[in-house]
Amino acid sequence: MKKNNIEGWLFVSPLVIWISLIIIVPIYIAFELSLFNVKIIGTSGKFVGIDNYIKLFGKSKFLNASLNSFYWIIGNAICQTFFAFTIALTINYKFPGKKIMANWIILSFIIPTVVVVVIWKLMLSSSSGVINSVLIDIGLLDEATGFFSSPNKAFISLVLINSWRWSPFLALIILSGLNSINREMYDASKVDGANFVQQFLFITFPNLKSVLFVLGLVGTLLSFNIFDIIWLITKGGPSSATTTLPLLIYETAFTKFRISQAATLSIITSFLLLLFSIIFIKSMAPKEDD
Amino acid sequence: MIKENNIKLIFLSLSLLLIIIIFFFPFFWIVTSSFKSPEEIIATSTTIIPRSFTLEHYNKILFNSDFFIYLKNSLIVSFTSMIISIILSVSAAYGLHKLKFYGNKFVEYALLVTYAFPGVILLVPIYLLFAKVNLLNSYFALIIVNVLFATPFAVWMLKAFFKLIPNEIEEAAYIDGASRYIVISRIIVPLAAPGIASVSIFCFIISWTEYLFASILISGDDLKTLPVGLAGIVGQYQIDWGFLLSGAVLSSLPVILLFIFIGKYFVSGLTEGAIK
Repeated sequence: MKKNNIEGWLFVSPLVIWISLIIIVPIYIAFELSLFNVKIIGTSGKFVGIDNYIKLFGKSKFLNASLNSFYWIIGNAICQTFFAFTIALTINYKFPGKKIMANWIILSFIIPTVVVVVIWKLMLSSSSGVINSVLIDIGLLDEATGFFSSPNKAFISLVLINSWRWSPFLALIILSGLNSINREMYDASKVDGANFVQQFLFITFPNLKSVLFVLGLVGTLLSFNIFDIIWLITKGGPSSATTTLPLLIYETAFTKFRISQAATLSIITSFLLLLFSIIFIKSMAPKEDD
Repeated sequence: MIKENNIKLIFLSLSLLLIIIIFFFPFFWIVTSSFKSPEEIIATSTTIIPRSFTLEHYNKILFNSDFFIYLKNSLIVSFTSMIISIILSVSAAYGLHKLKFYGNKFVEYALLVTYAFPGVILLVPIYLLFAKVNLLNSYFALIIVNVLFATPFAVWMLKAFFKLIPNEIEEAAYIDGASRYIVISRIIVPLAAPGIASVSIFCFIISWTEYLFASILISGDDLKTLPVGLAGIVGQYQIDWGFLLSGAVLSSLPVILLFIFIGKYFVSGLTEGAIK
């Protein structure tokens, strides 16, 4: 196809300008702040150079939050891949009600996150939650447990809640990949005697490469980004067990009012994520034919 | 042969059952609970089939709270964000996928990365920036941010729909003397209508559910959106569950209504288009 340089940029530029302004200007402001010692918003601090950065690496809070973020991404990736593939492979079969199911499965994605929080706070409540009473009824628990009371339980519960919200959406994107696979490949493999595990490993999975690339990149960044579900349920506790980097940034800025520190955290975080994205795109981007 | 089909059938029914329990039962639970009496909601012995029925929680939230103010704010912010997002992303998607230009792969990947760009990193500097230019406590503050969050993925979704439109149709129109504007408004937009519908819902949902920025950039009660209002109840020490549940149900209702009418375009937009 012939190139339309000027016209192409003309069509793209309104969006590109909007996005760059809203990302680049704030990043510049954050960078500037990170070199000063500003505490409360609106006041000016003195220039401290890279002091904020040096101090940060010695802080156990920063290391703790980075580790939590790492576990958060891994935990969500595992859970969401499992749920999303189960949903996608199930909906891919023909059964009565398939259309309705495929349309409404993403109910958990279209409702406000705050509602997700309300749902699971009620269902997992230690005094009157339905999950507790079901688990007791079937004999898995002796007495009601607080799902957010110990560090590990709180972390796992939050990973599951977040996966509950996102998996159906991811499932639909995987489904789009499944729909694009040529049916004849399955028929041919059946003639050769392949069972459905082999079909999944050698036909389904390789053909989903470009979808999985996008999901791997976007999914990781999106999981990292999760703030409201954690904040509204545990506030980062108990004992900072669920404080991921986004929560640390928020806390530093808006409950401890250390603006420069929060800005420094933001800059380091953006740098790490940018590095991840570049490496991921360079090493995993599928080759395109067109 | 028959044996393998049986195993498949068992697997299918089992996973269907699990999916229904995990992904649909919670909705049944909060909707029915929102009609239960306060005592039944917090009772230690939970009841799957409700024993009591009351409208008192809905009565309270509709006639004795700021619900309608929050609803109005959410509607204004979400609709405006949606319209701006669509205009910007249709234009960008057209440029990216119908007119090849120097740098277009770069823009495409950059957009994908910005989609996932962690909003929280921007939180502090955007707050300071908006404070400087007097945008705090305004609808526009939220609209600017929502458009930023919605458009990158919107462009990605539109890509598929634009690629489905054969270039020959466009070329024929140019030969007949049509201008670029005519081609876009009479050919591209109508042919990509299902795609545009699904992108609209996506943009609306993104704005409708946004909590973090809405909670920081808006401090006046008269401008708060529904998620922020609801979160205020969640944060209270003694949660009034009935009040909270009816609020949760009512806040979800608008997106669900929207979804009833154009939801099938959204799902087909994701499942049929996204990959091409």
